[in-house]
Amino acid sequence: MPGVTRLSVRDIRKSFGAHEVLSGISLEAQDGDVISVLGASGSGKSTFLRCINLLEIADAGEIWVDGEQIRMIHGSGRSRPASQKQVDHIRSELGMVFQSFNLWSHMTILQNIIEGPVHVLKRPRAEAVSEAEALLEKVGIADKRHVYPAHLSGGQQQRAAIARALAMKPKVMLFDEPTSALDPELVGEVLRVMRALAEEGMTMLVVTHEMSFARNVSNRVVFMREGLVECTGTPDEMFGDGASPAFRQFIGHFAN
Amino acid sequence: MDFAFLSETTMTLLAAVPTTLALFSLSVAIGGLLALLIVWMRVGGNPVLSAFAKGYIFVFRGSPLLIQMFLVFYGLAQFKVIRDGPLWPLLREPFVCAVLSLALCTAGYSAEIFRGGIRSVSPREIEAARSIGMSGFLLVRRIIAPIAFRYALPSYSTEVVLMMKSTSLASLVTVWEVTGVAQRLISHSYRTMEVFLCAAIIYLILNFIVLQAMALLERSLSKHLRAPPVKP
Amino acid sequence: MATLEVLGFGENGWGALLLVAAGVTLAVTAAALAIGAVLGTIVAAAKLSHSRLLNFLGHLYTTIFRGVPELLIIYLIYFGGSSAVTAVGKAMGYQGFLGLPSFLAGAFAVGVISGSYQAEVFRGAYLAISKGELEAASAIGMHRGLRLRRIIMPQVLRYALPGISNVWQLSLKDSALVSVTGLAELMRTSQVAAGSTRQYFLFFVVGGCLYLILTSLSDQIFNRAERRANRSMPSAMGQV
Repeated sequence: MPGVTRLSVRDIRKSFGAHEVLSGISLEAQDGDVISVLGASGSGKSTFLRCINLLEIADAGEIWVDGEQIRMIHGSGRSRPASQKQVDHIRSELGMVFQSFNLWSHMTILQNIIEGPVHVLKRPRAEAVSEAEALLEKVGIADKRHVYPAHLSGGQQQRAAIARALAMKPKVMLFDEPTSALDPELVGEVLRVMRALAEEGMTMLVVTHEMSFARNVSNRVVFMREGLVECTGTPDEMFGDGASPAFRQFIGHFAN
Repeated sequence: MDFAFLSETTMTLLAAVPTTLALFSLSVAIGGLLALLIVWMRVGGNPVLSAFAKGYIFVFRGSPLLIQMFLVFYGLAQFKVIRDGPLWPLLREPFVCAVLSLALCTAGYSAEIFRGGIRSVSPREIEAARSIGMSGFLLVRRIIAPIAFRYALPSYSTEVVLMMKSTSLASLVTVWEVTGVAQRLISHSYRTMEVFLCAAIIYLILNFIVLQAMALLERSLSKHLRAPPVKP
Repeated sequence: MATLEVLGFGENGWGALLLVAAGVTLAVTAAALAIGAVLGTIVAAAKLSHSRLLNFLGHLYTTIFRGVPELLIIYLIYFGGSSAVTAVGKAMGYQGFLGLPSFLAGAFAVGVISGSYQAEVFRGAYLAISKGELEAASAIGMHRGLRLRRIIMPQVLRYALPGISNVWQLSLKDSALVSVTGLAELMRTSQVAAGSTRQYFLFFVVGGCLYLILTSLSDQIFNRAERRANRSMPSAMGQV
């Protein structure tokens, strides 16, 4: 359904102590958008992503997922969500892929993937298993389904983590530097999976340092600097002449 | 060597093994459940409950089990409220008092062991569970508890063996388990060494069985830590 | 009123006796720790030696004294020791029962147990010393004895300190079992006071509190000692 707003974030602010990390960020993702969020380390891009699924609690601002606003209590002191139930529900609609995979070490790959569908979504086990096997096929590690995470390479673990997130049938996928912890030769296999997802029309928000992904796969690029969106546009606009000097300087580092 | 005496002694001691095992299994089971409750209070985030749990752990780990047992056995009986209360038929039984104090004591030690296990669960794995919408009891049951228990298991095995030894204190509140019977045999026969040997062997065998069972459990819970299976 | 009197230091009060008893508990535990240190060193050396017989004997010692109830070991040493003393007395012409002094029996029994734990502590501490440091000592020409005294012992003690602290706490609580020999330490005195005043609850609570004071005070002392001993360690390596 193109034109449907899947994710809408309005004026998010977040401080750690006296240090303001996010100074008012807004962003909107329509169905099928693939948005790359770029920025130097410390620009707040990971915190921004974590605020969206409430792994960090923003001090102010609104978050809407698929038309539903996350209810917050901004009283005196720290903000908190009004309902844990709603938080759990929203999180189950947002797939999160972490920099360091974060697979559950005591479960096999298959068990990792069916955990959410069976225990959070309460779906029949047999159904969850057959869907999980299809997902494993898709990310190319079907032969590893009975293996424990510690026995896989980083690239395989990250693909399993993507499958785990997809198993929840999320409305939006959030990627937090999914290739930063990988050896260079393993980056490609993960990017291929992400690219295939994008081509299927998945709505994705990707914090990354992979310029080729930002340029060739995403349809929008957001550049963050010092807790603010410095500039945003299509890849052509951003990587052409239209970008800000700061962004040009930023991508200059990667050219070298 | 007087084999007739040894075998007679062994038979007498073996007759007391069921009492020892009953003390052991009841107190480990009750103490384990109590420990879960205490560790939940300790890490649950409520400052009052947490302070209570801290105090509990401090008291039961910091004082000798024997004084705790005497407090339960002799101390409670002193109060008329308890003697007239509904639980008196239970609390007047030495066996019940022994199990109660053993369980209360091991709960303090086990709570601390479980807390150590919980602290070694990687925050990242917890975060991953939150990110798919897990929280509260589901998160504890599916992710935190299994990982924490696996980490805590080696220390918990040690604690369980200590409990087997601790059941001997029940003899001092007139429960005739193995050590109590051994003491009676010694004071009748004055053949300390022989009686000791028989009793010691019984305890060593019991501990061996318990340790094997724990090792089996540990093995079945550590599949993910072992080397990957060789490809066929 | 009555409570204050029985706990006080007056004629009918148990206060002074309880304090003395706490002192006896400390003394038994300290003696046990010393005996255990000697036994523990011997057993650790046996376990670390290349002789298979010594290895076996070392393992046998720790298996028995860590696996058998403390109470049973106290009976073994108290009654066994007394029979031995009586036998010696008989040989020297004395007829009748001779008891082993209960302080000695208690300290020895708790010491034998603590020795089995200390053996593990010392063995672990020895294995924690880096091979390179030992080689460096040989390289500058230190002979065996000098190496042991100047390099090994100080390091073993430092690595062993947290373990010794644990053994001390364990022995402090084990010493309560020595009360079965009649030694007037803290447990026994609380028991006697409770029995003769019929104030069981009160005296076991007071006795328990005194134990808590002893365990938490000694915990603090050991923590301070550990910090001192780790002066030369970078902070991250402070915990062994």
